[in-house]
Amino acid sequence: MSAGDETPRASAADKIAPIVELRGIRKSFGDLEVLCGIDLEIFSGEHVVIFGPSGSGKSTVLRSINLLEPPTSGSLKVAGTEYGPGLPGERVTRRGKALDLRRTVGMVFQQFNLFPHLTALDNVALPLRSVRGLKRADAQLKSAEALRRVGLLQRAGHYPQQLSGGQQQRVAIARALALDPEVMLFDEPTSALDPELVGEVLKTMREVAEAGMTMVVVTHELGFAREIGDLNVFMEDGVVVESGPRGFFENCTSARAREFILAVR
Amino acid sequence: MYDWGLIWDNHSALLNGLLVALEVSLCAVVISIAGGLLLAIMRMSRPPISYIAVVYINVFRGVPALVSVIWVYFGVSLLLGVDFSVFQAGVIALSLLYSAFMAEIFRSALSAVPAGHREAGQALGMRPIRVFFSVILPQAIKIALPNIGSMYIGMVKDTSTFTVIGLLEVVRVTQNVVSQTFQPFVLYTAAAAIYVLAAFVIDLVFRLIENGYASPPSGAMARALRSRKRRRIKQLMADLGS
Repeated sequence: MSAGDETPRASAADKIAPIVELRGIRKSFGDLEVLCGIDLEIFSGEHVVIFGPSGSGKSTVLRSINLLEPPTSGSLKVAGTEYGPGLPGERVTRRGKALDLRRTVGMVFQQFNLFPHLTALDNVALPLRSVRGLKRADAQLKSAEALRRVGLLQRAGHYPQQLSGGQQQRVAIARALALDPEVMLFDEPTSALDPELVGEVLKTMREVAEAGMTMVVVTHELGFAREIGDLNVFMEDGVVVESGPRGFFENCTSARAREFILAVR
Repeated sequence: MYDWGLIWDNHSALLNGLLVALEVSLCAVVISIAGGLLLAIMRMSRPPISYIAVVYINVFRGVPALVSVIWVYFGVSLLLGVDFSVFQAGVIALSLLYSAFMAEIFRSALSAVPAGHREAGQALGMRPIRVFFSVILPQAIKIALPNIGSMYIGMVKDTSTFTVIGLLEVVRVTQNVVSQTFQPFVLYTAAAAIYVLAAFVIDLVFRLIENGYASPPSGAMARALRSRKRRRIKQLMADLGS
């Protein structure tokens, strides 16, 4: 799917099953319901942007896609396998394991979460060894390639605290990409960065998008969202208020979404 | 009236005492690090298991070393008919007590590792056991090291109470010499100096270990140990960079 594709998003994919499908995802913490039934279909190669005010549940949606936040009810289907507790009254068929799900879905965090006791190279190599079972030398070679892809091969021997925030986030992206995930989740990847470092991370993400990776991005960077979003989802109070394809930021109809877009810009 | 020459005359006996003290406490520190880690994990688990750890920790943190070693050396042989050597009894008594302290050190160190690192490991598809050993534990050990060093110094000092079961450590040696020479002031001063000296050396050793755990590792020794790794990274950069 080319970046400038103007066709409505579903038409090209009508016959193909979505790679990620959320049906009636609900999540409660005690009495507080933070997700009140989320439905979302994401097709292979699509770039989905989720945005909305703080506390709207956008990060929780993202974290439910790799079951870091297991839904209270609802069904999640990723690459053909069902996960989650299922819809109320639904007969629960075979459910996949969270471990297998996480091996097909990569994630990048707001706080980078690099392992501080390992070099950039070993941060990438550790999961390659323990998840993919690669030998040390193979894992290091593949890690070096992943670091080169994000332009940080020269920093391979540096520890996280010797890297800038932007560099740390790019290593985190390389670490997730090295495992060849089918979907990449980005949880506010630039929110913890100094303003002048945001650009390099967005550039890396743009490259990942252009390479055809399926991406779900929670972000406040609406300029970037406008640029890559094949599907744009505006959330508030645990529900999807409005969603739409390219041009959403100009054409959205709900008053709340318009108000938010104006306020953030 | 003070015969300071006695210290030199008995220096080999005194240093042998120190060696025994260090041996007992070294065995015990290794056991209590393992035991403490296990207890900390139990303490952070679900209720039935965590209660066992809580009871253990609170009981053994409260028992003095002197009481503990008498109980192990005489009590266990009465109860179970197992006769421990004085060395074994010392190691067991210290391990029982200090496992409880180590448990609390490890509990605070494990909780000090940011939750995001566990999440990152999970999100990468690593098994929980792998996340624990490759991500959480190395960071927790780094946090715990200064406290483990203090504990070790405490353990060496606590071996002085094992004089009651006849372990030939520093205080026992001192007492033996005093009983022949009647120079307690001189000899106990020597004993004190030996403990202080040991504490300095232990502190130094732990600083070296801490440097090795720093990221990046600092100090000449740590750098030497990691030089192979640096060369490997340089090699990879050269292979791919050009």
